[in-house]
Amino acid sequence: MADTKARGVNTSGSARAVYASAERQEEFMQYIADRLGRARITEQPQHPFRGVPDFWREYNLEQEERIGMFMNNWTALGGHAFRMKSLEEVGRFLQEFAQETGAQKLLMQRQPELLRLGLQEALRDVECTVWDSAKGDMIDEAAQADIGIVVVDHAAAYTGTLVVLSSPDKGRSTSLLPRALVAIVPAHVIEANLGPILKDLDARPKEQLPAGVHFITGPSRSSDIENDLTIGVHGPGIVYALVVG
Amino acid sequence: MADTAGSSVKARSKQALQDDFLRKAVKFTTERLKNGKLKATEEHGNWEEWRERGRQIRLHTIAHLDYYLNLFADNARRAGAQVYFAKDPAEAAIITREIVREKQAKSVVKSKSMVTEELHINHVLEEMDVEAIETDLGEYIIQLAHEPPSHIIIPAIHKNKQQIAEVLSEVAGERLEPDTQVLAGFVRKKLREQFLSAEIGMTGCNFAIAESGSIVIFENEGNARMCSTLPKTQITFMGMERIIPSFEDLEVMATLLPRSATGQKLTAYMSAITGPRRTADGDGPEELHIIIIDNGRSRQLGDPDFQELLNCIRCGACLNVCPVYRHIGGHSYGSVYSGPIGAVLTPALMEDPSGWQDIAYASSLCGACWEACPVKIPLHDMLVYLRNRKVESGTSPSAEQVMFKGFSYVMSDHKRMERFLKLGKIGQNLVVRDGYIKIKGPLKGWTNYRDLPAIPKQSFRDRWKELQLEVTQQTPPKTMIQDIELRMRKVLEERSKGGGSDGGHES
Amino acid sequence: MYPRVGEAMVRILARNGVQLDFPKVQTCCGQPAFNSGYWDDARASAKTLLEAFEDSDFVVSPSGSCTGMIHHYYPKLFEDDPVMLDKALRLKEKTYEFSQFLVNVLGVEDVGASFPHKVTYHPSCHGSRLLGIKDEPMKLLKNVKGLEFVPLPDAELCCGFGGTFAVKMSDISGAMVTEKVHNVESTEAEVLVGIDMGCLMNISGHIHAGGKPIRVMHLAELLNEGVSS
Repeated sequence: MADTKARGVNTSGSARAVYASAERQEEFMQYIADRLGRARITEQPQHPFRGVPDFWREYNLEQEERIGMFMNNWTALGGHAFRMKSLEEVGRFLQEFAQETGAQKLLMQRQPELLRLGLQEALRDVECTVWDSAKGDMIDEAAQADIGIVVVDHAAAYTGTLVVLSSPDKGRSTSLLPRALVAIVPAHVIEANLGPILKDLDARPKEQLPAGVHFITGPSRSSDIENDLTIGVHGPGIVYALVVG
Repeated sequence: MADTAGSSVKARSKQALQDDFLRKAVKFTTERLKNGKLKATEEHGNWEEWRERGRQIRLHTIAHLDYYLNLFADNARRAGAQVYFAKDPAEAAIITREIVREKQAKSVVKSKSMVTEELHINHVLEEMDVEAIETDLGEYIIQLAHEPPSHIIIPAIHKNKQQIAEVLSEVAGERLEPDTQVLAGFVRKKLREQFLSAEIGMTGCNFAIAESGSIVIFENEGNARMCSTLPKTQITFMGMERIIPSFEDLEVMATLLPRSATGQKLTAYMSAITGPRRTADGDGPEELHIIIIDNGRSRQLGDPDFQELLNCIRCGACLNVCPVYRHIGGHSYGSVYSGPIGAVLTPALMEDPSGWQDIAYASSLCGACWEACPVKIPLHDMLVYLRNRKVESGTSPSAEQVMFKGFSYVMSDHKRMERFLKLGKIGQNLVVRDGYIKIKGPLKGWTNYRDLPAIPKQSFRDRWKELQLEVTQQTPPKTMIQDIELRMRKVLEERSKGGGSDGGHES
Repeated sequence: MYPRVGEAMVRILARNGVQLDFPKVQTCCGQPAFNSGYWDDARASAKTLLEAFEDSDFVVSPSGSCTGMIHHYYPKLFEDDPVMLDKALRLKEKTYEFSQFLVNVLGVEDVGASFPHKVTYHPSCHGSRLLGIKDEPMKLLKNVKGLEFVPLPDAELCCGFGGTFAVKMSDISGAMVTEKVHNVESTEAEVLVGIDMGCLMNISGHIHAGGKPIRVMHLAELLNEGVSS
């Protein structure tokens, strides 16, 4: 059972408990089996078409190609992509970026690579906050931040996608609420396509799946108003991917 | 779900056809999305293989739905979610009401969910004096305008910038320019306040992963992430058929859905949510309630004509190629689901055919929907099957029943047909002018838009004997006949072996 | 309704070594009733075709949609009657649309026709989607001497016929045929050619009502005229 605060449905006097009951579930499943004209299936069936076609499994690229493809795609989507040699370069970039944009508040994940950047010391006039789950108001912190900074867990070149997993040290709001997102992408986490990343999720023991796995492909966007594209509707409109290594 | 009593697709579309802006907007939007899909699928390549793969995964899952749905529910609970099974809108309402009351919610932020529209959840919330706020930009706009969506993916295509500016200006309390950036900027600011203060976030679900108990949401704006991260309580609604076995299978869906819907490689956000926040997390809902809804879906199971309907991944590709939708837009269908999928799904979810009206007839059966569907649902066939069910139920128009009885009487015997044509030839003399019939009679549906050619004086049958004689006299060179005979014999041989190419017959 | 089409088909095939027979017993493939949901009535009509072609080796039709009906829906229509189903499956095996028969069975792509006009082509929905007819008519047209081919914009859009749909949902159908004719006119072609008289009757009816002098012809008619002159 996952470690959550969630309580089960309190059965006494609850109108909705009956719909959450084991009996109701079994009733539903039995009805499905009846309609399908056979007995209930409780063993895992053979799934000969699981996943992608074989030719796609074999899709692969050399690392430099992956980096190039990822950066091209990210840029084509309206994001900004830069190649950096080291975390020091990243630190300098962030300082310049914060200063040029006049940012007043940064929020970064509690990740060692980010803590080592020493941003707070370098940026005196900017409030540099680190994700701290022990504090109950991190959502507000994220809402007030101008820039969210994360080190991503995975990336996919073919689609131009970054992947971030939530944890006590990595908030979901950090890459969502601030107007700008700066994502640090260690070159070695860039896969050719989503395949290896999704297989990894399948392979994890269920208890190790985080509450939120977010695949981010470019800035927030919408064409709902007369088919006219607009960037930055709810999520960040300014998105930087800094590929390091 | 169906529109005002007495109204029909025919009546509503007559209105829609007179709305020039709507027609231009629908045409523009569907062309853009259709071309986007074509470009994206060509670029990606091997599209037919991907379609077949998607089809097989969905067929397999639906054929074993009791296993996978059960697995999903167990795993979702293990991850800390509360899972409910609701048969119909009434049960979904009871569950929703209780959760809302328990949380003493004053406002609910909603991200796009067609299921919640099917269940009229907003109405349930309004009755409780709870503010239900649609946060998807297009849905927010039409909610303020008190209108239903006109397209599955882009709900507000029927509104222009001026209209949108008017609607939003009222909320803003000041005049907003009809400029996309300005309008979107206002919505971002306004809804941000709502996201941060709402007690409950409500979402739909594109796919539910059975093996992990995760729900997966595809979106471009970020509002679904907001609804599933900021409020303390999350309620997610899903149709019982939205299951896939694993994340590996998700890769196929993630390849098919965005390209088919908008021509994107992937939507800006794809989120896999497994349970509520972990105890040590700093954000995310404390409670996740997943309401699994039937509402007529299970009735498709075991029905060889309609079980495949449950394969649908709600991409909207069928809308974008439909020549009928192109002209009449979504509102004409009078239902939550429009276009080809709506024309089938709406009646299929409704047990009683007498309530179907004419929605299954709003199609020329051209098959473009089937061609476009990323999971190969034969919607064009299903429309005919629905029509047959309506006829079998005895609720089709009686004049039409009489007409086809006449058809079968005449057509079951060639002598009768010949007599009938003879009569027609005589009778038409009253109305034929220069070989055409133009008057408005019982066929005025035709003649309103076209001239009807007269029945020719000499039919093919009449002429046959003469023609046959003429033709046998002109024989082509001997070698040619021999070649042709050889070829035809070859085809006959292959046929009797039970295979081989058969002249380019259907795919 | 269009005897000249049948006649043209007979003549073209005769010139290419095939003497067609016309069994009188056939009435109609039953599609109008079938598509409207009246399957008993459709069967009554369709049975005449099963009977008429029982002994034929090859059945050729000038209609993409009738051929489509036989291929795609006859197995469904007769699925509850094993005797009829067997006949239906055998009929399906041996029925061909005109251009498919010429090109794929007879191997003829050039009938020796000459037709010096500007021509555009409308691909019928049932022909192209149910039967997969994409290249055959084009191959035949390409070899016609003097023919100037102009592609039809948005050719794959349905013309709005759909059988009873044209009468039942007349306003929608009207809007569809209006767009189709607009596209035809934009090509400045003298002739519109197709493989299904339902579509062509629909489109030509609208053209005629509008008074423009565009000729609407079936592929068989065009080829026959091209070899006769």
